[in-house]
Amino acid sequence: MSEDTPISGATFGRQIVNKFPDVECTPKEDGILECIVPADKIRDVVGMIDEEIADAFPESVFGVDLQEDKFEVIYIFWSRTNRTQYHLRVSLEGSNPEVDTISDIFPGMEWHERETWEMFGINFKDHPDLRLLLLPEELEGKYPLRKSFVTDRSRLKEADRTPPKPKPTEGGASE
Amino acid sequence: MSPDILDETTEIWFGPQHVSAHGWAAKLTLVGDFVVECDPNAGYFHRSAEKCLEFRNFRQGALIMERLCMLEAFLAEYPYVQAVEKIAGLEVPERAKVMRTIMMEASRIHSLQFWWGQFSAELGLFAMLLWPWVDREFFLDAFEELSGSRHAVSYSTPGGVKYDFNDKVLEKLDIAIARFEDRMPVMRDMLMGSPTFRARTEGIGQYTLKQGLKFGLSGPPIKACGLPMDLRKDAPDPNLAYDMIDWEVPVTESEEHPGESDAYDRMVQRFREMETSVEIIRKLLPLVPEGPIVDPKARGKSNRLPEGEAYGRVEGTRGISTLWLKTTEKAQTPYRAKIRGPCFNSYYSLKHLVPGAKFADFIVVFGSLDPYPGWWDR
Amino acid sequence: MMGGVVLQIDFFAWLQGIPSWLYGVIQWIFGIVSGIFYWIWGIFTWIWAAVFDVANFFFLIRAILFPGLVFILMTIIFAVWFTRKLWGRIQDRRGPFHLGKYGGLQLFADAIKLVAKETIIPDKARRWMYRFLPSMLLLVVLIPFAFIPWDPIWFIADLSVSLVLVFAFLTAVPVVALLSGWISGSKYTLIGGFRAANNQFASEIPLIISTIGPAMLAGSLSVMAITQAQSNIWFIFLLPINVATFLVAAIASVGTFPFDAPVADSEVIFGWRTEFSGIYFTLTYFAEFAEQALYSALIVALFLGGFQGPAFLPGSVIFIIKFLIVFFFFVVVTSSFHRLRQDQIVYFCWKYLLPLSILNVVLVMLGIANIPALQAILGIGG
Repeated sequence: MSEDTPISGATFGRQIVNKFPDVECTPKEDGILECIVPADKIRDVVGMIDEEIADAFPESVFGVDLQEDKFEVIYIFWSRTNRTQYHLRVSLEGSNPEVDTISDIFPGMEWHERETWEMFGINFKDHPDLRLLLLPEELEGKYPLRKSFVTDRSRLKEADRTPPKPKPTEGGASE
Repeated sequence: MSPDILDETTEIWFGPQHVSAHGWAAKLTLVGDFVVECDPNAGYFHRSAEKCLEFRNFRQGALIMERLCMLEAFLAEYPYVQAVEKIAGLEVPERAKVMRTIMMEASRIHSLQFWWGQFSAELGLFAMLLWPWVDREFFLDAFEELSGSRHAVSYSTPGGVKYDFNDKVLEKLDIAIARFEDRMPVMRDMLMGSPTFRARTEGIGQYTLKQGLKFGLSGPPIKACGLPMDLRKDAPDPNLAYDMIDWEVPVTESEEHPGESDAYDRMVQRFREMETSVEIIRKLLPLVPEGPIVDPKARGKSNRLPEGEAYGRVEGTRGISTLWLKTTEKAQTPYRAKIRGPCFNSYYSLKHLVPGAKFADFIVVFGSLDPYPGWWDR
Repeated sequence: MMGGVVLQIDFFAWLQGIPSWLYGVIQWIFGIVSGIFYWIWGIFTWIWAAVFDVANFFFLIRAILFPGLVFILMTIIFAVWFTRKLWGRIQDRRGPFHLGKYGGLQLFADAIKLVAKETIIPDKARRWMYRFLPSMLLLVVLIPFAFIPWDPIWFIADLSVSLVLVFAFLTAVPVVALLSGWISGSKYTLIGGFRAANNQFASEIPLIISTIGPAMLAGSLSVMAITQAQSNIWFIFLLPINVATFLVAAIASVGTFPFDAPVADSEVIFGWRTEFSGIYFTLTYFAEFAEQALYSALIVALFLGGFQGPAFLPGSVIFIIKFLIVFFFFVVVTSSFHRLRQDQIVYFCWKYLLPLSILNVVLVMLGIANIPALQAILGIGG
């Protein structure tokens, strides 16, 4: 694999844009190629990365809650030959946004997508196994990493737990 | 007794109360003695570190990060520090760069020693569990001398490091490394020369380089396939000192199955990693320059960060661990922090690597990937 | 007179008969009482005779004190301590050292703790068998100690087929293990039970064939006779390969490292012992060490000349010294290899140990038939 001639980030960005004109690619410092991908093209772009780059390494998929029902899903790949990180950004809208899964192209992304689903409520279409991964069952559908998720003690009542006794405010060196 | 014991397939839960399943559980479907399906389960340790990070300021965040993996605390906290430094535009003094690198490599050795003992115990040789763990104590002594804590060191901070080297630290570090170098060949022979060890590990959990990359494996599991994918060399960080010296990325290329790795290759690879780390420390120790250990303006600058995004990555003991950080204007806390633990993927890959293996080999496949539950549960 | 029987009672004769009837009743009762009395008396005299008859008295002392129960239990307790201490030393730690000199009382403390623990019987377990099997296991392992010749005089039993009997009892061990795995009602114990059976399946044949060599050289199946036949030369010098195969097969049969697949803690938790707790666990744990001690003693008796040695030492002391050396080897071997998988155990035992032990039998046959010097040394007629 090391015999492959490296393709620089800018060149690969141009290749992507030539093939899919509605993708925007901007090379950045630290060898990052940032691509803003429409939600319906993500499988195509990831498939292209899979075909063109022999040692594409799936690093991460995660969501960002931009509030007001706007979400962003960021896919990060790394290629050692090209010394390039590919950051694919997909903007989504709606309270239950959807995007195509890429876990059949890169199996390593399967759990990252599962986690994004349970934490943000971003649905990955055709994902083979959308179950809770990290969360306990009582938090299913609550999407705790969304900004609207309250983390104060009102959660306790919801989860049927008694709140802990408040600490004594007076006297003693408890603090 | 339930009648399903004699059915054709048997489902068996490996964990979470299993002695070698420390905080994880995999549901195995057995046919006879063979595993046909493996469903690894996560979440037994989940502490929601990503949400917690959103409520801590930029100097506290590193403390949460290092608690994800206590064994490689120096390395685990670094992606966060790196991302903060990138957004804040902090300069790191030369002395801090070298010291960071030295301690990160020491942390790598001690983490690998831990893994190696654990792997041996999983294979039923308890002498090899305790020998490296005794040597590991000496590294912990050095860490304790440095930071006052054996595991939760909280060493790197945005803009430098927190504690300076002194003579005692260097002396203890030297003792630890000398002892390691002294005993390493003996233990290496005891493991690699042992026919029982080879019998248990060769051909177990085998995958090709391409498969490994697709599963998202990194670090020793990939380098054991022969690809020198190592962020220390490939994406040199200006705030670390890896480019100050000459060193080679260790790789293992098996003669029987080039381009593939089995449990034995990964074992060999991790031994080479330790040797490389010792080499790096030995070369860096004379190069520690004089000067301040932390950028004096760092504290003020890391109080409130400008709006920005940064991606911190480090080549950890178990693979690439990263942190993606997004901040808003004049933020005291991150807007979003995403942690990518290397073991998240290596634990996931059990789903593909285990089916077809014998039930007794499940733990060998697991141990050879060196997953640590803190990394996937976060 | 009319026919018919007129019942006539001679009232006075009846009256006169009462005293003798009463006398008869009293005599009858007296007979019963004295019978019981004489019966009990007979028991007492029998016990008295049994105990204070010289031969019987010594048999009792042997069975209970010296090579018998108390001695064996102390040996096993010592074996546990010895194993733990030696393992500790090999593994670069101290081993037990808190209680007593060099931690010698640690095992008693552990035993008290284990016995005092709550006994938990799983819902799905068969309760009666669950209670019965651990003690059965220890019993089965302890009985063969009766045939070990610890001393030319102080031995418990010497049968002409004692070697066969020893293995007859030991064969029951994996059966008990399999049963207790089965009745514990857990999948892990069941897997462990089958693994124990698998171990025995692998190791038993080489183990028993390895004992044919000494038996043929001695011309007897009695352990005592085999020991006595080594007065001129120990069989370890004639059969070095046999000792090795026997030792390895014995370790595999006990199921300790590196053949500890039945109780492999990283794979099947604690194998067939997983669900045992408290006293039941203690019994099974004890049985494993008893088995190790038994095999060590067998090696001493079969290959190392048993109680034969320098004349100034008593036979039992010589035997115990040799026993300790063999047990030391046992512990060292068990702490220096990685665990083998079950199929590798079978492969190893059948591919290497079995041909070697069979080869040895053939060599012994040829040697006895063709080498007159051997016959002279062994003192057996051609």
